[in-house]
Amino acid sequence: MSTAASAETARKAKKHTRYLIPFRIWPYLFLTPFLALYVSFQIYPILYSFTTSFMSWDGMGKKTFVGLQNYVTIFTKDPFFWKSIGNTMLIMLMSTPIVIVFGLLLATFLFQLTKGRSFFQTINFLPYITTPVAIGLLFGILFDWSSGSVNALLLKLGMVQEGINFLGEPLSARIIVAVIIIWKYTGYHMAIYLAGISAISPDLYEAAKVDGSSPAHTFLKITIPLLAPITMFLILTDLIGGLQMFDEPRLLFSANAAAVGGPERSVLTAIWYYFDVTFAGFRFGYGSAVAFTLFLIIFVFTVISYLFLGRRERE
Amino acid sequence: MRKIGINLVLAVISLISIAPFYILMMMTTQRSEDIFKGEMFGPGDYLWENLLTVLRSNFLRSFWNSTYIAIATTVICVFICALAGFALTKYEFRGKKAVLAFIIATLMVPGQIGLVGFLIEMRALHLSQTHLPLILAGATNAFGVFWMVQFMKTYLHTELIESARMDGCSEFRIFMQIVLPVITPAISTLSLLVFLGSWNNYLLPLVLINQESLFTIPLSINSLGNLYRTDYGARLTGLLIAIAPLIVIFVLGTKSFIRGITAGAVKG
Repeated sequence: MSTAASAETARKAKKHTRYLIPFRIWPYLFLTPFLALYVSFQIYPILYSFTTSFMSWDGMGKKTFVGLQNYVTIFTKDPFFWKSIGNTMLIMLMSTPIVIVFGLLLATFLFQLTKGRSFFQTINFLPYITTPVAIGLLFGILFDWSSGSVNALLLKLGMVQEGINFLGEPLSARIIVAVIIIWKYTGYHMAIYLAGISAISPDLYEAAKVDGSSPAHTFLKITIPLLAPITMFLILTDLIGGLQMFDEPRLLFSANAAAVGGPERSVLTAIWYYFDVTFAGFRFGYGSAVAFTLFLIIFVFTVISYLFLGRRERE
Repeated sequence: MRKIGINLVLAVISLISIAPFYILMMMTTQRSEDIFKGEMFGPGDYLWENLLTVLRSNFLRSFWNSTYIAIATTVICVFICALAGFALTKYEFRGKKAVLAFIIATLMVPGQIGLVGFLIEMRALHLSQTHLPLILAGATNAFGVFWMVQFMKTYLHTELIESARMDGCSEFRIFMQIVLPVITPAISTLSLLVFLGSWNNYLLPLVLINQESLFTIPLSINSLGNLYRTDYGARLTGLLIAIAPLIVIFVLGTKSFIRGITAGAVKG
C-alpha cells in the first residue's frame, strides 16, 4: 500500500467518524422494517382473526359477540370439521409410510452413489416445487373417468373393460390424493434424509464394518435409530402439511366446482373446510374459530412430538 | 451387482417422478380430441395452435403479474430479513433476546389462520383489488430472519465488520458493501424459497382478488380450465408455461434450494 492511499483512507475515516446517527440506534433501525411489516401484516391479522372467532359475523354487517359458542359448536356438533381431520388421518395412513420408506431408501442409495447424486436429487425434487394448482389439475386430467390418460392406458393394455371412475368414489378419491402426496413428497423426504445421513459420523460406519456388521444390519442398527428424530420431524410436517392441504385436492375436482371436498366430502381437508365456511359461506366468525381450532390441533401434535423427542434424547 | 440394482431402483423412481411432466409435455402438442382418445404418450403437431389459444387469453397478463409480484416480494423480503438478521447477530442492544424469542415463537404459526384479519385490514386500507397485499403478505418471513441469523452466526466474522468500522464505514454501508456479499449463499437460498412461495400461492389471491386482469398464475390456470373445459390441449399448455420458470430456476439452484429446505430438519 502506498502512503498516499493510506493517507486517503485515514482522511475518509475521519470524515465518517462524525456519525449523524448515534451508534446504538443502528440495530433498531435495521430491525424496524421487519418488525413494522411483520407486526402489521402477520401478527395483527392473526390477533384480529382470533377476536373474530368469538363473534358471529358475515364479514359486512354487524358483529355479534357470542363468546365461546363457535368453539362449542365445533367441538360438539360440527361433523364436517372432524371429518376433515379424519380424512387427513386416513390419507396420511395411506401415504406417510410409503414416503418415509421410499425417501429413506432413496437417500441411502443416493448416499452410496459417487456420480450423479445431484442429478437424481434434482429430478426427484421437481414434483415438490411444481405449482400445487397445476399438480391438482394435471392429476385431475390424468385420472379423469372418461378421458383420463390412466384409463386410456388401462384400456389400451386391455386391463379393464371400461374406465374406472377414480375421482367418483370416496375410497379411490382418497387414494388418488395419497398418490399425489407420495409423488410430490418422496423427493422432499429423500433430501431431508440425505442431509441426515450425511451428518452421521463416518467413524460409526467404519467401526461397524470392523466389527463385521453386514450392510443391512448396519442400516437397521445405526442408520435408522440415528435418523429417528428426523423421521419424527417428517411425520409431524407430513401431518401439518396434510391438514393444510388445499390447492391439490380442490383443483382435482375443478371440473365440478360445486363439489366441496370431493365425493361425500371424502378428501375435504381442514383448510378447505375453513375456506368454504369463511369465504364461500360468509361465516367469518365461525371460520376463524375453525382456523384456531386447527391451530390448536397442530400445536398439540407439535408439543407431543417434542416431548417424545426429548424423552428419547434423555434415554 | 449391488450397484446395478441401486441404479435400477433410482432410475425407476426417477422415471415415476418425471412421468407426469413428460405426459404433460406430450399433451401440449396434441389436439384435445386426440387427448380424449388417449394419444398422449408421443408428440403431436398441434403445439403452435395450443400456444396461440393460450396467448389469446388473459394468460400472459397473469404471467407478468406473477413475475413482478414474485420478484418484488423476493427482493423486499430478503433485504428486510438480512437487515434484521444483521441487527440480531452483530449488535448488542436492549430487547434483542425478546425479539429473537418472538420470532422463534411465531415460526410455527401457520399464516392462513390470520386470513380473515388480513382481508379486513386490506379492505380498510383500500388495498383490495390491488397486488400490494400479495407483496405485503410475503414481505416478511420469520423463517427468513431465523435463517439469516443462523448463517451470519457462522459465516460473518465480527473482525471483518470491526475493521470496516475502523476505516470509517457507516453502519448501513457496512451492511450493503461488506455483509451482503459475504452472505450471498444465504441470500440465494432464501430468494428461491420466497420466490417459489409467492409464485405458487393460491389461497391468498383466491380470497383477495376477483378481477381477471389482476389474476396471478395459479388463479388463471384455474380459469383457463373453466374457459376451455373441453380444450385440454390449451389448458395443459398453460400449465406447462406456468411451471416452466420454476423448473428452470430450480435446476439452476438445486443445491442452495435443498440447503434451505433441509435447514430446519437436521439441526432443528
